[in-house]
Amino acid sequence: MHTGIHGEILRIENLSFTYEDNNHVLDDINLVAHDGESIGIIGANGIGKSTLMKLLVGLLLDYQGTIEVAGHPVNKKNLNHVREHIGYVFQDSDSQLFLSTIEDDVAFGPRNYGLSEEEVKEKVDAALAKVHISDLKNKHIYKLSGGEKKLAAIATILAMEPDIIIMDEPSIALDPRNRKNLISILNDIHSLKLITSHDLDFIMDTCERTVLLDDGRIIANGKTSEILSNKALLEDHGLELPLRLQK
Amino acid sequence: MASIDKQLKELNKIQDLQQRSQWMNILHPLGKLLLSVFYIIITVSFGKYDLVPLIIMSIYPIFGFILGELSFKDGLYRMRLILPLVLLVGIFNPFFDKNILFYIGGTAAETGAAVQGGFAVTGGMVSMVTLMLKGFYSALSAYILIATTSIDDICYALRCLHMPKMIVIVIMLIYRYFGVMGAEAERIITAYKLRAPSQKGIHYKAWGTLVGQWLLRSMDRAEDVYESMLLRGFKGDFFTSKKSYGLLDILYVIIWTMILVLIRSRVII
Amino acid sequence: MHMADALVVPAVAGTMYVLSGTAAGVSIKKVREENDPKKIPVMGVMGAFVFATQMLNFTIPGTGSSGHLCGGMMLSAMLGPFAGFITMIGVLLVQGLLFADGGLLALGCNVWNMAFYGCFLGSFLFWRPMMKKGASRAKIIIASILGCIVTLQLGAFSVTLETLISGVTELPFSAFLAAMQPIHLAIGLVEGLITAAVLVFVYEARPELLWGIGGEDVVKEKKEGKLSFKNTIIVLAVLAAIAGGIVSLFASAFPDGLEWSMEKVAGTSELEAAGGAYDVAAGIQDTTSLLPDYAFKGSEAAIGTSFSGIVGALVVVALMVGLCYACRFFLKKNKEDKAA
Repeated sequence: MHTGIHGEILRIENLSFTYEDNNHVLDDINLVAHDGESIGIIGANGIGKSTLMKLLVGLLLDYQGTIEVAGHPVNKKNLNHVREHIGYVFQDSDSQLFLSTIEDDVAFGPRNYGLSEEEVKEKVDAALAKVHISDLKNKHIYKLSGGEKKLAAIATILAMEPDIIIMDEPSIALDPRNRKNLISILNDIHSLKLITSHDLDFIMDTCERTVLLDDGRIIANGKTSEILSNKALLEDHGLELPLRLQK
Repeated sequence: MASIDKQLKELNKIQDLQQRSQWMNILHPLGKLLLSVFYIIITVSFGKYDLVPLIIMSIYPIFGFILGELSFKDGLYRMRLILPLVLLVGIFNPFFDKNILFYIGGTAAETGAAVQGGFAVTGGMVSMVTLMLKGFYSALSAYILIATTSIDDICYALRCLHMPKMIVIVIMLIYRYFGVMGAEAERIITAYKLRAPSQKGIHYKAWGTLVGQWLLRSMDRAEDVYESMLLRGFKGDFFTSKKSYGLLDILYVIIWTMILVLIRSRVII
Repeated sequence: MHMADALVVPAVAGTMYVLSGTAAGVSIKKVREENDPKKIPVMGVMGAFVFATQMLNFTIPGTGSSGHLCGGMMLSAMLGPFAGFITMIGVLLVQGLLFADGGLLALGCNVWNMAFYGCFLGSFLFWRPMMKKGASRAKIIIASILGCIVTLQLGAFSVTLETLISGVTELPFSAFLAAMQPIHLAIGLVEGLITAAVLVFVYEARPELLWGIGGEDVVKEKKEGKLSFKNTIIVLAVLAAIAGGIVSLFASAFPDGLEWSMEKVAGTSELEAAGGAYDVAAGIQDTTSLLPDYAFKGSEAAIGTSFSGIVGALVVVALMVGLCYACRFFLKKNKEDKAA
């Protein structure tokens, strides 16, 4: 639920993480984020982006360092509190939408938090309106296009009014028009957004700040326009300039 | 292997039917489920020679198909899966049961005495026909149910009947992911066929890897689904909204129940 | 192998519902005791997976035909017998509803014939004892094939019994059995092979996903005792032939006694099913007498089956068709008027 906190909402300090098989390490990550910010998390395949995201929502525990979401340290005891404040939009919308109709799926979160049916209905309607798919409310999920599924998946998270929304490759498999539509919708959402993507143009359109990861460390953390135009920096870490900056 | 495509199309068709705003679709699912089961029970409870009341029993599927605006052809097409076993069971009846029940044509058709020129109908013939009718009716009535009621609504009805939540949730998930997996199956088969054009099915050397890899991917998906539930506050329970029922819901079930009981008790005919 | 509604009388269907329901109740309790909330989504997705794989055709080497995956055995090897059983119930119910494979009334029978044997006997009789001291390629292959053959044989046998007890067929027990068992021997063998191939793959890729694997080292016992797939097929084909011979011997020698006892059961079960409704009905008929002149001569005698009776019934049906179309016409008209 949205706390209405202004200012700092996510704090990561000296975060390190190792899998049991000593794979995929995160090393000394430090990051502070504020309400209303939009941060792109970029980096080549397999450098720990997903691990970082899963740590933030408590799907992975046993880390070293500090992670605080809306003032709650992420640990086993606090999971329920933490998850009330943070939402995760999966890369594959079909995994996110596990019920048959959009209405039921979007209502799943609010119902789990024990809201009355009227409140649930309000939240569902508001969430669907935010992503402009109110007319699809009663539609069955198998009848949706890929773009509509993505918006529905985002609505399931918005209905819980989180302070932080994490999105894993939101622009993947979207056609140009759906992608453009998604960009404008995301820019109208004022929670803190963390967006991982290989689509650097998408990051340019949606995030004012960008964090570049490589080998489990933060290599750069600053203005998107500066980082994404730094050809040498990107190429050093397995990336390339956004298409619109390539000549 | 065209069967995947066909089955997905059939699934699509049923889902389209369920989405209609037809009056039968709007009826309360519990009533429709109970009525369907009751109809099938009454149908199969008839004895093997009860041809006459069984013919009368067709009024329920007739009613459902005409007023529910369903296609008889689609309903009959669904018989294909159970037909082989029903045929195997029934087709030999005429050879074993040669009791003559009545004659068609001839002079003394009703008396049962020896007649000339009449066609002797034996018990085996009648019992074969009644068996087929039972098969048709039960398949048709199940079709009426599923064409007007979504699986989610049926699950809701099952919950009303206190079916354990675990089973109901599993049914909902199976239904939700069957479409997704069916599409995956189709992609896998297409990719396979393109590289093995002359084969009818999957070669035995590919059985393990092809299905095994798919299975592992499915397990990963299950993990994602679980995480997605967890992150939205899942604590092992699914909550759904309640459905209200009106006069029509009750009347529909009561009237049909009465008609069926009357047929069963042979008040009608 | 799916049982159809038409083949069972309510008494048999009800009995099987009770049996399957009891097994389901125990399974739910066991799965709840495991207290692993992750199991539910895994059951759902794996159920959909098994359902979807049944649409795949696997070419049987040397023949033109194809086989399918043995769902119960595979599910219980992945999820354990209890969760596997619940999942199979879901699969059978959705199959019955969506594709009319099986029926609503026969669901209890189908759950018993396919899920119960496949999940419980498959895992407790073969899978677990064999995997207790660790798994190997050969053990998985043998357990899968034996499991599938035995559970399918039992399933087919149950189909035969349920049908005969219901009294819908005049087919002698031995003939019915002779038709059912050998076919299912072949089907079981193929399903077992496919199941084995898939489980071996899982074992080699991610052994931790398999249920009931004991021993300290779940690590693959490489090479030692490893049978090639081909050799295994030959060994099992021989085994299957022997088993088939035994079944047909059994079918030809033993059935007379069974048949006799079954006829007795069939005679009573039919009457019992009708009893309650009959009594009520008689009362209603006496008091209301809706259509007093509509009873045909001799309809009592041959249980209402006579030529004129059939004609009368067809007239009623024709009236119903006309009435329904008339209703539909007026309903539509009403709708259009409203819309206009």
